[in-house]
Amino acid sequence: MRRKSLAAGAAAAAVFLTSAPAATWGANYFPNIPLITQDGKTVHFYDDLLKDKKVVIDFIYTRCGDSCPLETARLAQVQRILGERMGRDIFFYSFSVDPVRDTPEELKAYAEKFHAGPGWLFLTGKKADIEAVRKKFGLGARAGEDELTGHSTSLMIGNTATGQWIRDSSLDNPQYLAVIIRDWLSSWADPTPGNSYADKPPLPPSAADKGAYLFQSRCAACHTIGQGDSLGPDLLGVTATRKADWLAGMIAAPNEMLSRKDPVATALFARYKELRMPNLRLGEVDVSALIGYLKAQDAAQDGGHGKPLR
Amino acid sequence: MSTEHFFLPWNASKARLREAENARKNRLEIVKALSQGQVSRRELFKWGLITGAGLVAPIHGLSPFVTRAYADDGGGIPTGAPPSPGTAGLAFTQPLMRFEVLPRNPYAVLNPIPTIEANTTLMPVDPLLGGSYGPIEGRPPGPDWAHQRWNEFLPTVAIEVTQEGAKPNPNGNIPFKFHPSLPAQGPNAMWTFNGTLPPKLILARYGEPILFRHHNKLPADITQNGGFGRHTLTTHLHNGHHGAENDGFTGAFFFPSQFYDNHYPMILAGHDSINVNGTDPMAGSPDDSGGINKVPGDWHETMSTHWFHDHMFSFTSHNTYKGNVGMFNIYSALDRGNESINDGVNLQLPSGTAKSWGNLDYDINLMLADKAWDGDGQLYFDIFNTDGFLGDAMTVNFCYKPYFEVEARRYRFRILNGCVSRFFELALSDSSPMIQIANDGNLLPQPVTLTRLDEQGIGERYDIVIDFSRYTPGQKVRMVNLCEHQNGAGPSRDLSVAQAIAGKSSDPCVGEFLEFRVIPMKAGSDPSKVPATLIPNPDLSKIPVARQRTFAFKDGGSDSSPWTIRTDNGEDLDASVSRLSAAPKAGTREVWKLINDGGEWDHPIHIHFEEGQILSRSGGDGNSSAGVPAWEKGRKDVYRLRKDGTVTITMQFREFAGMFMEHCHNTVHEDRAMLLRFEVGKGLVPMLTPSPTPQGVKFVGTSVLKGAF
Repeated sequence: MRRKSLAAGAAAAAVFLTSAPAATWGANYFPNIPLITQDGKTVHFYDDLLKDKKVVIDFIYTRCGDSCPLETARLAQVQRILGERMGRDIFFYSFSVDPVRDTPEELKAYAEKFHAGPGWLFLTGKKADIEAVRKKFGLGARAGEDELTGHSTSLMIGNTATGQWIRDSSLDNPQYLAVIIRDWLSSWADPTPGNSYADKPPLPPSAADKGAYLFQSRCAACHTIGQGDSLGPDLLGVTATRKADWLAGMIAAPNEMLSRKDPVATALFARYKELRMPNLRLGEVDVSALIGYLKAQDAAQDGGHGKPLR
Repeated sequence: MSTEHFFLPWNASKARLREAENARKNRLEIVKALSQGQVSRRELFKWGLITGAGLVAPIHGLSPFVTRAYADDGGGIPTGAPPSPGTAGLAFTQPLMRFEVLPRNPYAVLNPIPTIEANTTLMPVDPLLGGSYGPIEGRPPGPDWAHQRWNEFLPTVAIEVTQEGAKPNPNGNIPFKFHPSLPAQGPNAMWTFNGTLPPKLILARYGEPILFRHHNKLPADITQNGGFGRHTLTTHLHNGHHGAENDGFTGAFFFPSQFYDNHYPMILAGHDSINVNGTDPMAGSPDDSGGINKVPGDWHETMSTHWFHDHMFSFTSHNTYKGNVGMFNIYSALDRGNESINDGVNLQLPSGTAKSWGNLDYDINLMLADKAWDGDGQLYFDIFNTDGFLGDAMTVNFCYKPYFEVEARRYRFRILNGCVSRFFELALSDSSPMIQIANDGNLLPQPVTLTRLDEQGIGERYDIVIDFSRYTPGQKVRMVNLCEHQNGAGPSRDLSVAQAIAGKSSDPCVGEFLEFRVIPMKAGSDPSKVPATLIPNPDLSKIPVARQRTFAFKDGGSDSSPWTIRTDNGEDLDASVSRLSAAPKAGTREVWKLINDGGEWDHPIHIHFEEGQILSRSGGDGNSSAGVPAWEKGRKDVYRLRKDGTVTITMQFREFAGMFMEHCHNTVHEDRAMLLRFEVGKGLVPMLTPSPTPQGVKFVGTSVLKGAF
């Protein structure tokens, strides 16, 4: 870019270098607004969070009962895959779109529920500033949309050192997301190991079974079947331990179970760090497909007599 | 900075535009100085150049979008940036550049010789791409990405191109400029085929398989992109009937210094089931002496006008806007590209007579695209605009508002909407008739005479014939765009020709953009024809419908993200390269219902691989035609859904297999996840998802939607 003479009032600043090409979407584009982390620390958006980093950005609010917990749990899966790269050169930033209620304390509690590790910041700040950030990513609420529930569940994946940004689904395959975050936007200096074609697996069970697909895409971020507790309880044996209508109700509308103070739901809520199980708006068909899948897993793993759920 | 008032009036005075551009630069430099520690925040604060929140003060001279200073002007331009400078007085002062035909070389010249499976010979990889060694060809290795039916359709013609930064064209010493009076584009501003203007054209004919070798010569340094664009490429021939390994799958991209071999068999759809012995004279290819080489397949599937462009995941809008676009004319027994051969098969459409086929004298490719540039005249793109990006300068074949000399006779124009997000509606300035002969490159059953064409979505091709014999030499007539946008989500309204010419729209791309200057006819007569019957549709009524599927395209909602596709009443899902949404069985016919679930938005939906027929459609404003209009009664590959509209189509899946795509061709919507993957053919097993690296392609698992198979 050619150097330009500056207008009156800014003459004192006329000392600059030519810009690097990727700088088009750098300091000149992103506002350097102050934000507060879940640890109460003040950081500046561009200088501290974006500059020369690979970042994943999403927008959440802690009271959200549907998409945010799932999205955050998905990111937690990706975080595990990225391992030691987290906090070294890769950073996740979850911005609260409800910054007045989401104090640093609230965000800290939320982060802990999802086992957020180094390099994953939950950010609050002035409402107008957060809105400015959303708009900068083209993710602002549209006219007529509720600014909380209307927030996008997409991820913005970017690298300010290269000026490359990708928008992807937070529901994408976590392995593929990790590849995009780690490799696509970088210099490929640390190529990811992957399968060779010889390892081509057979048709995954999710192709044949709706329950398996739903479990993989909607539940596996928080639950395992027989692999131990994750963010939520291990579900092995759950079809034997819980009554059918309770299980169906919990899968369909966990928020309603909590609000009417169902004793089991309340106890589980307390046990799992008050992490709100999302209402995924699954229809009856989906719920019964999931229960069918859970039953089949129980039968396959130990004849349906799984360990009792605490 | 306020983002509420983003637009500057398009008719703002020169001085104000200069001010705005300077403000943009100044602001950029101040923020940069601050970030590099050359001045302190306190100093800027003291000078009143920065607010307490750390934002550059929205004062005159610093923010290009300050509203107060400019509030007295109405209207606005759609780019979200100051108007592209330097165009005043330039309209209709430069001649139209014609497409440059890419050389058709003998297959044997290719070095290295193409291989059926990807050529995984190793070469050193640039340290900027991770170093070490990687394959010379970027195509995923192994049998699933091998060229299908290679030995059956051995290539005879080789076409070899590069992708590289803008530079002068040594062939004619053509500078890389939108207009001779505008600045040259720098090598990072635009990336085109061979790095030059004009845009490139491939001439193909049925029965003559092509090997299209694409070399990626973009910078290894990912930051050398002028602010947008990505150096990994995957090239899609829209809408070629070929194996998926040649289809530019969005996740099968290749890197700088690599090449990718695309094998275009150039067969008629129905090759395996209809006219299999190749006896029907209507199904044929022009030979070099005016005759026909018969080919197998269904002549009702003959195609004429394709284009090719990048399809890189998340960066298709950047890269196509940056210049990764070309056109592809297909010649057949019916559509010969020779207007004088009268053999009962050739339709004698306007073209020329000098060569036995492929004459371009009166057969003109027009690529329409809206562009924008910054104060230095370099191409500008907003990578964070998620509704759709609009330019404010109309170009034809990359020329800013050119003129074109036409003889007083019939011409064929193959018009491509090559925009990122803009729809067109075309008319002539005197509202005189045009004859539409093809839609999406498929000759219609009957030609349709129109005084204004239908809206034309991104990726749609309309072939029209204009008879300039009604004018006297010296007369001028202009092509006019009537379709106004307020944003990239979809058209806002269609103006009348008089309104559009009078500048009644604040959208700078509405109005006249191409001038025809009529000169006397050179030959004594015009032998070209527009027959009353062109190509009747293939009859699908006897073929059972194997599956019905529904795809709903949505742009937002309270419980899901923008830009989703809902398959068969399932969930609204963002694009995921690793998810398989539909798997039609090879050799079957299906009916797909495409729903615009997005109210005021519009989406041109493109389905790769085979042409479909529209069975029914609805939606649009009060002026939209009810039912399927005459100009959409042929075969298509892009389906404009219209506001609140639904389009039901039927198509077959024949001859080839692999992973293809269905997506919105508003490439911003596509990049923001309005895309899905479907697979044809390989039984009940989904293909692995390629995960390319410069050191070789890896594979990751594929998730499969219930009901896909």
